[in-house]
Amino acid sequence: MNEKYEKMWEDLGLDISAHDGLLKVLGQFYGDIYLSQDKRLKGMEYLDFVLSEVHGLRIKELQDARAAGKKIIGTFCMFVPEELICAANSTAVGLCAGAEIGKEAAEKILPRNTCALIKSFVGFKLAKLCPYVESCDLVIGETTCDGKKKAYEIFQEYVPMHIMELPQMKGACDRDLYMTEVLKFKAKIEEVSGHDITADNLKEAIKLINNRRKALQRLNQLRKAIPTPISGRDVLLINQISFYDDPWRFTAKINELCDELEKRVQAGEGIVENDIPRLMMSGCPMAVPNWKLPYVVESSGAVIVGEESCIGTRNTRDLVDETGETMEKMINALVDRYMRIDCACFTPNPERLEHIVEMAKDLKVNGVIHYALQFCHPYTIEAYKVEKALEQENIPLLRIETDYSMEDIEQLKTRVEAFVEMVK
Amino acid sequence: MSLFDRLSEKSQLEIETAKEVGTKVVGLYCTFAPKELVRAVGAIPVGLCGKDQTPIRDAETILPANLCPLIKSSYGYAITNTCPYFYLSDFLIGETTCDGKKKMFELLGQLKPLFLMHLPPCCDENRSLNYWVGEVIRLKDFLERQTGTKIGEEELSRQIKIHNKKRVLLKEIVGYCANYPVPISGTDMMVVMESRNFLVDIEGYINNLQRLARELQAIKREGRSVCSPDAPRILLTGCPVGKGSEKVLRIIEECGGVVVCQEHCTGIKSFNLLVDEDDAPYKAIAHRYLKTPCSCMTPNQGRIELLCQLIEDFKIQGVVDLTWQCCHTYNVESYLIKTFLEKRYQIPLLHLETDYSESDTGQLKTRIEALLEMFH
Ligand code: SF4
Ligand code: SF4
Repeated sequence: MNEKYEKMWEDLGLDISAHDGLLKVLGQFYGDIYLSQDKRLKGMEYLDFVLSEVHGLRIKELQDARAAGKKIIGTFCMFVPEELICAANSTAVGLCAGAEIGKEAAEKILPRNTCALIKSFVGFKLAKLCPYVESCDLVIGETTCDGKKKAYEIFQEYVPMHIMELPQMKGACDRDLYMTEVLKFKAKIEEVSGHDITADNLKEAIKLINNRRKALQRLNQLRKAIPTPISGRDVLLINQISFYDDPWRFTAKINELCDELEKRVQAGEGIVENDIPRLMMSGCPMAVPNWKLPYVVESSGAVIVGEESCIGTRNTRDLVDETGETMEKMINALVDRYMRIDCACFTPNPERLEHIVEMAKDLKVNGVIHYALQFCHPYTIEAYKVEKALEQENIPLLRIETDYSMEDIEQLKTRVEAFVEMVK
Repeated sequence: MSLFDRLSEKSQLEIETAKEVGTKVVGLYCTFAPKELVRAVGAIPVGLCGKDQTPIRDAETILPANLCPLIKSSYGYAITNTCPYFYLSDFLIGETTCDGKKKMFELLGQLKPLFLMHLPPCCDENRSLNYWVGEVIRLKDFLERQTGTKIGEEELSRQIKIHNKKRVLLKEIVGYCANYPVPISGTDMMVVMESRNFLVDIEGYINNLQRLARELQAIKREGRSVCSPDAPRILLTGCPVGKGSEKVLRIIEECGGVVVCQEHCTGIKSFNLLVDEDDAPYKAIAHRYLKTPCSCMTPNQGRIELLCQLIEDFKIQGVVDLTWQCCHTYNVESYLIKTFLEKRYQIPLLHLETDYSESDTGQLKTRIEALLEMFH
């Protein structure tokens, strides 16, 4: 696709040769990790296509939309209510990044021991690698973790930003605080987009985003079947793509894929044998193209049947109540839904432990892999509590701390294989 | 200075005696906890922030190794029950400053009753003051419940005045280093400043500070100095430093520099602001504490302003910005501080990232020497 889009990338200010390098790595990874899988669903072709065009056609669409007056809003976190962005006739894109390639640039302004996700999005910007961030009219940050909160102070020098303050507890005053921030965010989006958010367009946006969540919920229901009908890698990819692709198209395509999956489940077909250990991932988000650990796990004789993560069930579990007709009711419904997020940034965060246990039982997993990015304090510390909670249910847990480099892949393999052997 | 020798041991005995008559002891971890309230219910606040390497190994059996040594040390002391002040504490106050502490407090709360104050991440008054006032009041209710003592208006304003007095005195004392001769080393100054963290008798401490102030004044009049006139004048900023974790401070002074000013939490940051004695007390307290220029705030413009003022007032020639390993907030902020200060004052800033161990002492020494050499 390179020649076709080169002009567009140049206009966006990308560093063409570095960007070519990124696409090459991405293509190679994708070939090795995705296209080589057996018994893949036909519906995955859509995802293959979207991914192959993730810096091409999708960016072109965004540029066309901008030319027609739409605004593009970048986000890093699921606490930013996408519904308000859609309601203001704008498009939300996820900017979390999952590649090591901009690391060197990032480390010029950020400490080396910052979580890989943060270094990656900063590096993408500094090394001019990401057409999404270059397409954004506004980028929304949030005070989730220390690393992000402070990195945004520097990142602000490079992109126009609006920072949302997030509460860290779930009392009544915290809900009020979040409500204030949501209203401020709404005003900001209205200002940037030049569109008023009305009860009508918000109602529609709530439905739209709920429908996307419902499609992903349906997928998660279907994949529970034994034998496992779809790989964990594929589901991760689907979750990742949900942050980039057009929500209408994405929902339609995932529902088609689910239709196919349904048939497969009815026919009792799977991608692996019945007795292969079923594992669940829990912890930090995995952004494109961070497929390292799922690949290691699924090539170690296990299959992943759930991801408890922001790029996973944390993002799809709860719907926004659709019954509200007035602006006030709808905003309240949004706030209720978003305040239920069980991110480790909250203290305490008992809901997450409950959800993990519930999910592990429901999916009948043999074990859980707790995945944390190195230097991510909220998740690395909470891992201890997760371990204790699962211990009570006799569900084994493997704690992994890693980053985006490939250096530890052999070591991860050894540990994962031993774990799989143990839970068999 | 002898007044401040072995103060910690003396305090321990006094605390034990006070406990026998039912006085409560409250363990604190951070500058954001309003001590006025603790005193107003008749309890004794003690600082529990871990400054020593010893208990870290035990902490790492539960906490990740990639965590700031201060958090690991604090938690390690608690689980091994090796800190006498932790042992003596009836309950604890924590706050949601940084991620590491916030999540560590969840575990610490399993050992002793812990009240967690939710500190908003933005110190902008419009955004956060009301919220923080709410937290201060929640703390008051907690303290009243725990001690069975109601806070009277009068007692609270008396405490506000005493604490302000202490702050003013500390400011006066550090001010004696603002120009040559320098009557007290940074290392000794740290002991003076830190001793306020475990006092039974705050009035006695104030008397001691007054005597020290007179002493320093006299030394200054006589023209005596702990260093030569050309010793490089260093400002130490960044993560908190105290007894057990003073290695960088010590090395600077061993290598011929003089730390004339310390901005970190044990230092000026924690006493340069006063509580407004004319305002409604809870709001005034909330207001003052919210303005603490800690890196956990975003943005933290207050720290830049304070640093500028100190660089000018103390005629600073070089800045050492200390980050404890894996303290994200200070670590990330160091880039902003460095670029700003170097541009504005053309003075060098040395950013050091280290932990409590002595393993990198040689390396630190080399880097600090290189900094100090620039002034010769
Ligand atoms: S993975 Fe952890 S450290 Fe990284 S951005 Fe998320 S919460 Fe922050
Ligand atoms: S030094 Fe940094 S990481 Fe450590 S307790 Fe203080 S703010 Fe937290």
